[in-house]
Amino acid sequence: MPLTLSSALPSTSIRQLSQEDAAHLLRRTSFGATESEIQALVGHSPAQAAGSLLGYGQAVQPNRFAPLDAATAGAAVKLVQASWLWEMVYTPTPLRERLALIWSNHFVIASDKVKNVHALQDYVTLLRTPALGPFPDFALAVAKSPAMLRYLDNDQNRAGKPNENFSRELLELFTAGIGAPGRPNYTEKDVLEGARGLTGWSYQGGRNQVKDFAEQPTFVAVPKRHDGGQKTYLEQTGNFTPEDIVRLAATHPATPGRVAGKLWAAFVSSTPDEAGVSQLARTFSQSGGDLRATLQALLTSEAFYAPANRLSLYRSPVEYLVGALRSMGRPALDEKTVLGLVNTAARMGQELLHPPTVKGWDGGREWINDTTLLLRMQAAAALTLGKNAPQGEALTPLTALGNPGGLSRALRGLNPKQRGYLMLISPEYQLI
Amino acid sequence: MHRRDFLKISAAAAYTISGMPGFLARAAAQAGGDKTLVVIQLTGGNDGLNTLVPYSNGAYYAARPNIAVPRSDVLSLSRDLGMHPALKPLMGLWDQGQLAWMENVGYPNPNRSHFASMAIWHTADPSQASSEGWIGRISEQIGDPFCASNIGTATPLALLAQNYALPSIDSVDNFQVKLPGGVQDAFEAMLGSQRTGEAAYLEQATRSMLSHTARVQANIGKYKAGATYPDGKFAAQMKDIARLIASGTGQRVLYTSLGSFDTHAGQRSDQDRLLGELAAGLKAFYADLETQGLAEGVVVMGFSEFGRRVAENDSAGTDHGEGSVMFALGRGVKGGIHGDSPDLEHLNQGDVIYKQDFRGVYAEGLKTWLGLDARQILGGDFQGPGWLS
Repeated sequence: MPLTLSSALPSTSIRQLSQEDAAHLLRRTSFGATESEIQALVGHSPAQAAGSLLGYGQAVQPNRFAPLDAATAGAAVKLVQASWLWEMVYTPTPLRERLALIWSNHFVIASDKVKNVHALQDYVTLLRTPALGPFPDFALAVAKSPAMLRYLDNDQNRAGKPNENFSRELLELFTAGIGAPGRPNYTEKDVLEGARGLTGWSYQGGRNQVKDFAEQPTFVAVPKRHDGGQKTYLEQTGNFTPEDIVRLAATHPATPGRVAGKLWAAFVSSTPDEAGVSQLARTFSQSGGDLRATLQALLTSEAFYAPANRLSLYRSPVEYLVGALRSMGRPALDEKTVLGLVNTAARMGQELLHPPTVKGWDGGREWINDTTLLLRMQAAAALTLGKNAPQGEALTPLTALGNPGGLSRALRGLNPKQRGYLMLISPEYQLI
Repeated sequence: MHRRDFLKISAAAAYTISGMPGFLARAAAQAGGDKTLVVIQLTGGNDGLNTLVPYSNGAYYAARPNIAVPRSDVLSLSRDLGMHPALKPLMGLWDQGQLAWMENVGYPNPNRSHFASMAIWHTADPSQASSEGWIGRISEQIGDPFCASNIGTATPLALLAQNYALPSIDSVDNFQVKLPGGVQDAFEAMLGSQRTGEAAYLEQATRSMLSHTARVQANIGKYKAGATYPDGKFAAQMKDIARLIASGTGQRVLYTSLGSFDTHAGQRSDQDRLLGELAAGLKAFYADLETQGLAEGVVVMGFSEFGRRVAENDSAGTDHGEGSVMFALGRGVKGGIHGDSPDLEHLNQGDVIYKQDFRGVYAEGLKTWLGLDARQILGGDFQGPGWLS
């Protein structure tokens, strides 16, 4: 691979955030924000604003969903999903939740296979904490989670009866990636040897997804199931343990580029930018995979604030709904409504904790088709004009469109609710 | 919400907002002839051996002591092959020569990953280089972005064209725009604003949606229910397909899915149930078309992304395999079994070896049924079984 001398990711030249800059930053980090939340960032430097958005703790909001008391596993899953959506709407630290959503689309598990309440909740909690440790530690914690052990069958992977599922996706999706045609990042042999190395991890408790969904699963390493022999993995040889395999994959030279690419696509633009991504990858690897440092660099970069990159990312269904509610000032909703919103997002194509395949949602323009546009229009009506519409602040062009003068001609003569409706169905609102 | 607060956009208003003059829309509807191909995706890897059962072959029973279909249950179609009993509703079509089975269908270098193999069937490209679907290419050749739709919520790769995605209609009844009262003018002004980039794409997508919904709603009254459909999602999808065909909105290909057929465990309960839904839904669909005099113009073609291993596994199921069966239904179909019984003695690592490239099956549909340039769509010439008469 040719030596690339990437410099650091260029910082933005903005010294003090304007209204539009603040609105843009909050669209991308907080799903959406009110006028006063936007104004509160005006005049701050991009570094100050990013630092405060990234300085979140782990506290979660109380809610009244009780998935452990659910009658069935299916009902329990819905309550876990609703509880996460609740947190997205009401948390004072929404960047943490947006990042967790992004990670749930990377280290994918899905509730068609994982229905245990603790497994799902512990997985979401884990996705909220990557800033607490470098990426390889994060990958390791995910690999040991009962949710992931179950989803990709590593709990079935044992000496003499290997199951390659997790080993393959660890390389293909979670770390290095397949690579370019003719220059693969790993071989089929690596997948097989990786599977051998990953043998022996499992979990106890909550194994029956239908009956025992309320029982706490615990990670367990089973020595007699581990293939302790010598393996050659990613051009290294040793009697690798499962932890060794995960760390080797997570520190593969192609991993920083791949992680950087995902963060770029989630925060900057869906148009790939080789130079930008490789600069970001350099920040990532120089920091030892420190995600907080990497995000600070990303959220203060020239590319992040570039005019050409604004309104260039698509709101996913969950982001559509949560963005509207947060821009309305997080109005009070009852639990039934939030359960309904989980369902609405599912019909629009995004059921929380249930991406359709281990590859996750492709996102972008794929969220948009005739049916999903109609569903967004219906959701907009329910959020603004419906008789049960949430009682929140009126949406404004700054909060909904990112621009205080947006759609002024079209909005003239409409009452506040109608203006809210029209903005939520506009092309501009679909984008962040 | 009160009904009076909403008004449905009239067809004329929608055409205006969509920017697509009425006459253009009508002209597009004529393109591509008047025949419809309905494509059914059995998602998850349908086990071909328990669908079209090689009941005269002892190796089948030896490999599947628990999950083989007993000889006495098989609906025999030939000396060697018979259908799973759950497909009984299709026996009428078989007897009329309107049901075809294609054996051992697959492609070179088979891939046992769901999404890789499905992508190959969707793009008709075993090298997985293409990001455009074969039905997307159909719409580009015909020149009409509404000549094919998916019935479902997520548009499959098969229906992606280079610059647009063909529509997904999750239900015909919901496929209409209802604008609240008092915002019509504002809505038009909003769409008419100047835009660039992704906002411009979204504006265009909105206009297309308005045009498609208006086209469907203006014509949906032409459907006169000709059969009772069973309960369930698949049957409802088939009924919506029948309604779209009856409405004559120029749809040449209609696509839908059923699943999951990924029967790693407990195959005899899941697959049996799904095959039953498939057969009952298709039977009602054909009866509906026959009653309305529409059956002559419609052919159904079904596929799955791979078959499953010959030997059963430890969980009364089967794991991912290679070659599998396809089926086709309709008056235009040459009924019968196209291809040989699966060779269970010479396997590729436990899987049935494919003998017919699926692109040959597609090619026959494209050329003979839809009258299209198959080579352009498939990127080459492929010969297949003559499953159309």
